[in-house]
Amino acid sequence: MASSSATEAKNFVMLTTSDNADIKVEREVAERSILIKNLLEDLGGESGEAIPIPNVNEAVMKKVLEWCEQHRKDPPASQDDDSDSRKKSTDIDEWDQKFMQVDQEMLFEIILAANYLDIKALLDVGCKTVANMIKGKSPDEIRKTFNIQNDFTPEEEDQIRRENEWAEDR
Amino acid sequence: MTTKSNFKRALPPAQQSRQHVLDSLRTTQLLDSKAVLPAELINTILDYLPVPDMFRFARTSKRMQEMVYDDTRWIQRLKTMGCWNDIEARQRFEEAMRKKMEAQRAKDEEARNADAGPNSSVNGIAGGSEGERKTSVTLFDAGLEEEMQRKSVDRKVRPRATTLDKGFDDMTLSSPSNVSARPQVPPLDPNIALKILSRARSIRGMARQEYGKIYGALAPFYFDLARSRSHTDPVLFRTYRDPEQQAQMLAQLQTFAKSDSAQGWHQREEKLETMIGIFENAVLREFEQGFETKDLDGRMKKYAHVLVTLNGGAAGVDSYIHNHPLMLDKEKLGNPADCLRHAGPGHISSRPSHDFFKGLAISLNDEAAIIDRVFPSSIDVLLPFVDRVGEDIISEYITSLFDEAHDASIEIYLKAVAGIYEQALQFAISLKPTKGSKPNFKEDVMHIVSRCFEPHIDLYLQEELDFFKRKSAAEVEVWEKRLTDEEQSTETFFMSNVSRQAAKKDFLTSFKKVVMMPVNVLPTIGGSSKPAPAALGMNGDALNTPSRSSTPIPGERSTSPRPLEAPTTELAAKAAIMNSRLEGIRSLFSIEVALNLIHTAKSSLERAARFVRLGGQSGEEAKEQCENIFLALLQILGGRHIKPGFDKAVNHLSEYKPREVADHSKQGVAPLVAFLELVNVGDLIQQMVDVFYLQELVAANLTDRDDFLSPACKEKKKFEQMLDERVAAGLNKGIDVLMDEVEFLCGTTQLPTDFNPTPGADGTVEMLDIGPSHTASKVVDIVSSHTSMLVGSTDKNVLDVFNQEVGLRLFTALCKHLKRQRISVDGAIKLISDMNAYNTYIASLRNKSLTQYFTALRELSQIYLIAPDHAKDIATIIADSDRYHGIFRAEEVYEFAERRADWYQLKREVERQMYGVGCAVM
Repeated sequence: MASSSATEAKNFVMLTTSDNADIKVEREVAERSILIKNLLEDLGGESGEAIPIPNVNEAVMKKVLEWCEQHRKDPPASQDDDSDSRKKSTDIDEWDQKFMQVDQEMLFEIILAANYLDIKALLDVGCKTVANMIKGKSPDEIRKTFNIQNDFTPEEEDQIRRENEWAEDR
Repeated sequence: MTTKSNFKRALPPAQQSRQHVLDSLRTTQLLDSKAVLPAELINTILDYLPVPDMFRFARTSKRMQEMVYDDTRWIQRLKTMGCWNDIEARQRFEEAMRKKMEAQRAKDEEARNADAGPNSSVNGIAGGSEGERKTSVTLFDAGLEEEMQRKSVDRKVRPRATTLDKGFDDMTLSSPSNVSARPQVPPLDPNIALKILSRARSIRGMARQEYGKIYGALAPFYFDLARSRSHTDPVLFRTYRDPEQQAQMLAQLQTFAKSDSAQGWHQREEKLETMIGIFENAVLREFEQGFETKDLDGRMKKYAHVLVTLNGGAAGVDSYIHNHPLMLDKEKLGNPADCLRHAGPGHISSRPSHDFFKGLAISLNDEAAIIDRVFPSSIDVLLPFVDRVGEDIISEYITSLFDEAHDASIEIYLKAVAGIYEQALQFAISLKPTKGSKPNFKEDVMHIVSRCFEPHIDLYLQEELDFFKRKSAAEVEVWEKRLTDEEQSTETFFMSNVSRQAAKKDFLTSFKKVVMMPVNVLPTIGGSSKPAPAALGMNGDALNTPSRSSTPIPGERSTSPRPLEAPTTELAAKAAIMNSRLEGIRSLFSIEVALNLIHTAKSSLERAARFVRLGGQSGEEAKEQCENIFLALLQILGGRHIKPGFDKAVNHLSEYKPREVADHSKQGVAPLVAFLELVNVGDLIQQMVDVFYLQELVAANLTDRDDFLSPACKEKKKFEQMLDERVAAGLNKGIDVLMDEVEFLCGTTQLPTDFNPTPGADGTVEMLDIGPSHTASKVVDIVSSHTSMLVGSTDKNVLDVFNQEVGLRLFTALCKHLKRQRISVDGAIKLISDMNAYNTYIASLRNKSLTQYFTALRELSQIYLIAPDHAKDIATIIADSDRYHGIFRAEEVYEFAERRADWYQLKREVERQMYGVGCAVM
């Protein structure tokens, strides 16, 4: 990828989002997404056609690309994703923390986009952010935040609490 | 157990397929307006959540509860701690299934018998997921189980409140901000918590509960530790006072930390590591102090156990080994230079090194006893200790010893390396394992010892090969020089061929014996065996008249009274005997030299071969070098010793001119005899090499016999081929020479009167003896003595070809000879007996075509016996080609008939008969 920097045209790709916006982006940045990377490889990289990204709208795509820009030099994600779940759960770095300070809807959109575009690191950051949001909240608060319908009777809910008493407090 | 309280459910959701759960989740919209997170993403998010938050999340809705309760999640956690055993889980599951079936059957029966109470459905479910512990479960047992489960849950809840004021009153709560959460007490008895990890069971569907038990026991300590600021702070150290319990708990926490994947785990684990480090150092200090004061069974033992419980005790073992007196004053064990100092020049004394290894073995075995006392048997202390000893003491010792030996002389060096290696292996065998040692302790020790030698092996093997090459080359040179010093005149002797094969067999047997004999590396081979054959060889030389008979043999035996002492000397004596017998070919090559070469090769090989046991690369190299030694042996023996000998013999043969040799009184053609003896010896040497190859290389597994690509095999083939070629070339020449001799004999010794005796005064011939003529018997003698010499020394095929050739050439020579004679009727009797003599000899060769030739010749000779007045019969015999098996044509027989003394009187008559008959036939 880096070696092809001689030809300017080759360094850029065009992405078409779900709302038909064209975004021109450096190939190296776009290739943080494994989906796009594989697509480009399959196309041979020479077509110059815009790549349609039907599941992501412009606003989210821009946000995602912003993250990609920041992390363009990161080492590629390791393939063996299920080796040890702990290895990927390092703390969120400062830039990412700031980056994730968006409203909840956007946060979910980013996570979904990262999932669709196959950007593992971004997906992890998103999930961690959500986890942080849940942390310390009561079930009611969680329901409120995530808009979950409570289908338990109070007795049932209490039963679960008692079942897992061992985990409470620390 | 997921739906214990949900009676309305027909089936617990946990038993539904996971896929199904996810499907339904996907169709469910978490938020109507907002983006929906698919199940797998929620799953990922859950991974990042701390355990308490996870259960709060579970309480939000049934879907979430299912996801949180999902067994695989908890199995995963147990697995990271090493508390999950798939096999155990499967066994339990199968057992549970069986019981469930039984329970189901029982339930059905009961349902038939009585009304199904509401209880039974609950029990059925509970039995499915819970009733594993009992072997025979009835419906009521399942209910009991259920009951117990409920109680245990209750118990878990209750003591939490009580222990706060009971077991931990002495605890001071340092941070008031945490009052509510912080000083949470382990809900279980501290003693149970100590073993909590090892009690974990692997039960499908119960992973969450099992994890819960562990979490309940360890998490309070864990999070408390992670928050604490100093090492005096943590609750753990106050709950458990005994260092061993503390260590046990810390070790458990370390394992537990692995299942913590919520954010911040890194810092928590680091904190834990530091704590353990501090703890370990303190214990180690105690341990070392105990070591200094030799408090073996007290402090040392106690803290060794603590260290082992904590983290396998590596630090303790390290410190123990490092500070051991054996390491600190290793000079006491022995000075490597002693081995050289106490021995005469050119020798190495094995005593000091032996003492060194003995001392080392004794102190190590003492050490093993101490280790058994101090350390628990769960760890192997001795092996690292021996490893260290090998590295620091043995390596150092042998390195300096080998360096000095190398400086002194190569031979000493070679002996030192092989000898010390042997001693080191003995040492390795003599070590006793401790209780904590693994079953392959011996192998490991061998490995350690071998590793000490590895750096020396390359040099050693190289030197060994060079040494062997040098030594054997020198041997051959010395022999050549001695030969040129002596005059060549003595070379033509003929030895009796009495029981030659038997002697050879005998010799080979003792050779085999010696080859198979284990070599005592250091002293014998270089020392005792060499002078013996040398001295006896001299003896053989001193016998200036090697008589033909077997007389020198007893004489030789008496000069060597040693044969029974040891195979080496027995072989030497036999070699000397052979040598004296083979005096005739002494100038060509010497079996003694060959024997010495093989001996040198053997000792080199055996020294090098023991390093094959090292295995790995060094072992392979040693193997290769062994093959190289064998190659060098063959090259020097074949190329430099035997080949020139054969060449010389062949030259002698080709230069032989019977007419120029004055003395024909001897029984053989000297150069041919010498050559045939040479073939014998060559064969003997080849067999020796073969035995050597089989015993030393194949039997010792140094080379693969069937590997036709192996250099040793190839070289051996080449050697044999060289030998065969020389033999063939020599035999070719030999036949020429033999026939020359036969013709010479015929030409010079056959008297004209032999076959044409002059009639006496009364006109009759006196028949003095009716045996073969002197010439014939001589010819038969000479030919047969030469051919018989080859028997047993060459290939059967070669021998057959040789015999055939000799026979045919003899046949032509005789025909030629016959045509030069004039034979009277009286002389015919003599001739016939001559022919009979030849025939008998040829028949003894058992060669069918040859026999035919000579039968024909015998038939032919009858021509001369017919009285002159039977010309017609003569003609018939001449024309009767069947008589001669087609070997003679009529014309040829006619030519023979011309040799009749009275031919000119008969000629007309015979011709008339012949051609008359011939015309009539035509």
